[in-house]
Amino acid sequence: MPALEISGLRKTFGGVIALAGIDLSIEADKIVGIIGPNGSGKTTLFNVITGVHKPTSGRVMWQGKDITGRPAYQIARWGLVRTFQQAMSFPGLSVRENVRIACERARGDHETTRAEWGSPDKLLHFVGLADRGDEIAGAMPFGNLRRLGVALALGVNPSLLLLDEPAAGLSHSEADDLMELVFRLPKLGIGVCLIDHDMFLMSALCERLVVLNFGTKIAEGPPKLVLNDPKVREVYLGSDL
Amino acid sequence: MKDSPSKPNAPIGPAQDAAPDRPEVVRRAGKTHHGGRSTLAEIVTAVVVAGFLVGFPSMNPGYRFLSLAITTGFTAVALYGLGFQFGQAGIMSVGHAALMGIGAYTAGILAGKLGIGFWVALPCSALVSAVVAGLVGLPSLRVSGQHYIIITFCFCALLNIALTNGGQFTGGATGLDVGSIGSAFGLNFNKLLNTYYLVVVVLIICLLATHLLVNSSYGRTLRALRENETLARAVGINTNLHKIGALMVSGAFAGVAGILQAYYLRHISPSLYGPFPSLYLALMVMLGGSRLLYGPLAGAVIVSFLPEILNLNPIDSRIAYGVALLAVILLLPGGVSAGCLNIYRWLTSKRRP
Repeated sequence: MPALEISGLRKTFGGVIALAGIDLSIEADKIVGIIGPNGSGKTTLFNVITGVHKPTSGRVMWQGKDITGRPAYQIARWGLVRTFQQAMSFPGLSVRENVRIACERARGDHETTRAEWGSPDKLLHFVGLADRGDEIAGAMPFGNLRRLGVALALGVNPSLLLLDEPAAGLSHSEADDLMELVFRLPKLGIGVCLIDHDMFLMSALCERLVVLNFGTKIAEGPPKLVLNDPKVREVYLGSDL
Repeated sequence: MKDSPSKPNAPIGPAQDAAPDRPEVVRRAGKTHHGGRSTLAEIVTAVVVAGFLVGFPSMNPGYRFLSLAITTGFTAVALYGLGFQFGQAGIMSVGHAALMGIGAYTAGILAGKLGIGFWVALPCSALVSAVVAGLVGLPSLRVSGQHYIIITFCFCALLNIALTNGGQFTGGATGLDVGSIGSAFGLNFNKLLNTYYLVVVVLIICLLATHLLVNSSYGRTLRALRENETLARAVGINTNLHKIGALMVSGAFAGVAGILQAYYLRHISPSLYGPFPSLYLALMVMLGGSRLLYGPLAGAVIVSFLPEILNLNPIDSRIAYGVALLAVILLLPGGVSAGCLNIYRWLTSKRRP
């Protein structure tokens, strides 16, 4: 049964239609990828799901509960947690204090994850920042900030993690390391919904791809089928005239 | 699910390279927010500060300096509130004296109209000020930074007008007479020395409360919303609730300071709680530094005592304050307390090979 069900989701900013009625369901035990050209509404979709923006119309159901337009903090507490494209942290605080803030909001009753990152130090170890705890978050290089962003989201103990371009701006090896980490999450009982531009990486990682263009869903399915879909090829490569 | 969990805690990716050379300040940064256990240096500082506060009268300060010390003491109580809301939650106010005024007038009205004395009025003042601080804080949910600062200033000016035109209830421009604390615990608080000790006890309680709050998960929550509100919400922090909460804590401190001031002066009037005293409070917090435990106290002591010691007249001292504030903002953004801490760290790190 899908954990997150979106129906007819629409969001406009003035005259700009960012989401033009999207229907989508996402399971909480898989890695689902969302791809699409710039401006196709991927980040807006995340923002509307997680309560950063209120939708113009449509409905978001999470674990059978209507969460449309609920405040962001409340949605996070229900286990639907997202990261940000801009690698956000609490820049003036130490890395350990950063994760401590998230861990103090951990939702209980999750045996596996408690063993993996029940304490701030375990969590830092899990994301590979074990020896960076005393550093000021804002002084860290970009790659480490991305890891910290994932750590902050994991600290809350999500059931479904929405990752907004976690590999953007990372070198290939850094991106591979991060994706290896993401790949382990479903085994720990955390679903992942991932936005990224790297087709090769996405098709290797995701069980299912969703393609957005101009705020509508144009294709959905296993990566191989989706990437051979003529409509998707047209969006990315242009049509034969 | 079926995969055997091989080395579940192995770090991802290549081993992190050894920490490269970076400035001392950055490497030791974890300690700036008094994270974790108390160190020996912290305990020594606490004992020295407490010893100085308790031992001050034995230095024969005379009537004038003892009065000044009392004023400094209850001002510092208010500053701990302002320092908490600014240093932890990042919300500045330039109308903080208004909240002291709410506390003072609560005490004055309770004493004058209902005959309620100091000890019962003390929690009432704290509570009323906290509630008012929460209400005044409601706009902070919509505007932040300089915009909210302007609102606090307006509130302060408005309260002044209201108190001046309050007729019998607030005593108008003349203000209200407040009685004396009288005697309690076998101490006669009509004696200046005993009033001093009362203020010191309250101040030490405030210091302890601040220390505990700052190091609690609540303090961390406020720092989170200070540092990045969007991210704070994304990890499940109800930022609106905690902003108002921080302002209410701050308001309670101001209320206590207000009632101490009212019973020390025995007469209160609107001009005590106008924009000018508010600006002084903001100056003290900036000068002393709001993020370290002794910052507000340092700010209060410097601003109250220095003009007295240097024999500056009121006009000159205002110019000096202005210059000092500019100098601190440009040279010591964390205030005098952070400057001292950096010097201490520099000295201790030099000694180590």
